[in-house]
Amino acid sequence: MTASTSPRQEVEAAFHEIVTDILPELSPGAITGDKHLKALGADSVDRVEIILALMDRFGVTEPMASFSEIPDIDRLLAFLTEKRTR
Amino acid sequence: MTGIEALNVHCGFAYLTVPELFRGRGLDASRIDNLMMTRRSIGLPCEDPVTNAVNAAMPIVAALSDEERASIEILVTSTESGVDYSKSIASYVHEYLGLSRNCRFFEVKQACYGATGAIQLAAGYLASGVSPGAKALVIATDVALVDERAEYSEPAAGHGAAAVLLGDDGTILELDLGAFGNYSYETLDSARPEPTFDIADVDRSLFAYLDCFSNSVADYQSRVDGADFLSTFDYLAMHTPFAGLVKAGHRKLMREQGVRKAAEVEADFARRLAPSLAYPSIVGNLCSGSIYLALASLIDSAPLTGPARVGLFSYGSGCSSEFFSGVTGPEAKQALGRLRIADHLAARVEIDFSEYLALLAVNRQCLVPVADRDIDPSTYADVLACVPDRKEQLLFTGVRGYHRQYTWG
Repeated sequence: MTASTSPRQEVEAAFHEIVTDILPELSPGAITGDKHLKALGADSVDRVEIILALMDRFGVTEPMASFSEIPDIDRLLAFLTEKRTR
Repeated sequence: MTGIEALNVHCGFAYLTVPELFRGRGLDASRIDNLMMTRRSIGLPCEDPVTNAVNAAMPIVAALSDEERASIEILVTSTESGVDYSKSIASYVHEYLGLSRNCRFFEVKQACYGATGAIQLAAGYLASGVSPGAKALVIATDVALVDERAEYSEPAAGHGAAAVLLGDDGTILELDLGAFGNYSYETLDSARPEPTFDIADVDRSLFAYLDCFSNSVADYQSRVDGADFLSTFDYLAMHTPFAGLVKAGHRKLMREQGVRKAAEVEADFARRLAPSLAYPSIVGNLCSGSIYLALASLIDSAPLTGPARVGLFSYGSGCSSEFFSGVTGPEAKQALGRLRIADHLAARVEIDFSEYLALLAVNRQCLVPVADRDIDPSTYADVLACVPDRKEQLLFTGVRGYHRQYTWG
């Protein structure tokens, strides 16, 4: 029997899935919480796509402008965890 | 019906390919796909916001009768490339277009939205009936100043102007008066704080654009009974900073309207939006003229066999935005076709990266306020002479006592 997955872990798992889908050449080890999406090699359109996919997955209805000052992946995941509606 | 009677663009005499700029700057070529651009217009130092405006509008004005020309009683220039803190670009444009002295002229500024605001206000004025038979000419005109500091925004910058003649005969686009939606708020996503450079926060700007698109469409739908993003508009034309952003915005709206299957989104994009991106993808961002370059692209590229409703989205950093609509059709295609925009874009002369750098160094001084300056258009004769079938156009020759000087050549 496995331990239940926390809301944050669900967001993190979805984040990895979506990022590796949009950036297929990225090695999984390159994704660390202290980085900005730019540091993963995501261009501006990739960043839009990653955030839209996450908002869609978790029913986040915040304005996209809310994401423009988030400095790193850790805080992006925390924001999504806080604002998720599903 | 009030609407756009005539539309034209002038997008300079030279272009640089996007791969050449990526190579020269050492940018990651894998990012070209998301940019969805192949060329960008490059200005010559003998061009400025005034010459761009005049060269875009003159083919429209020249085709008018004396009586029609005299009926232009509003001239508005929209620009983020002002040449003076007080004197408008419109004042020079009025002179070189030879418009009536019984005409009001002025300039507006709201980044890439300004022209749409002017068009909406002018259309309301014309439709009010206070001056029957009047026309209004709105010209969006800008020059590019960005350099390597703009990184991946540099390949998307455009150069040129779009001229829009409004009147009672909406041959190009009959405006759906009263059908509009707005969304605006203060933000510093991009700006031109000094006359030699721009600043931009890329994520803040793209996210603001996307928020504004969703919210202005929602405002439109709340104002217009039965309006539906998926079914009301046969085509879409949008402010195009680069085509890849337009594609992302379309995908966002489709998701919000419940369309999630990638194939359906892609098919809708190809059918309703792709025709509007042909010209922007080979010109770059024309600032507040961008949406009208997209409209011209749509009319020239789409198979218009009957009346077609177009949804238009205008966004200007800072930020102000509007979604509005109008009806175009085969007559628009015929009228716009006479201006041979595609031929003029194809006639631009290709330059390489080193030539671009040399031009950019001079172009970045274009808007710097100085009392005296000399520009010799013959210095650029190698480019100008290579433009096939080039008609006489207005060229910038410098500044004398803060008064900008021009010649026809």
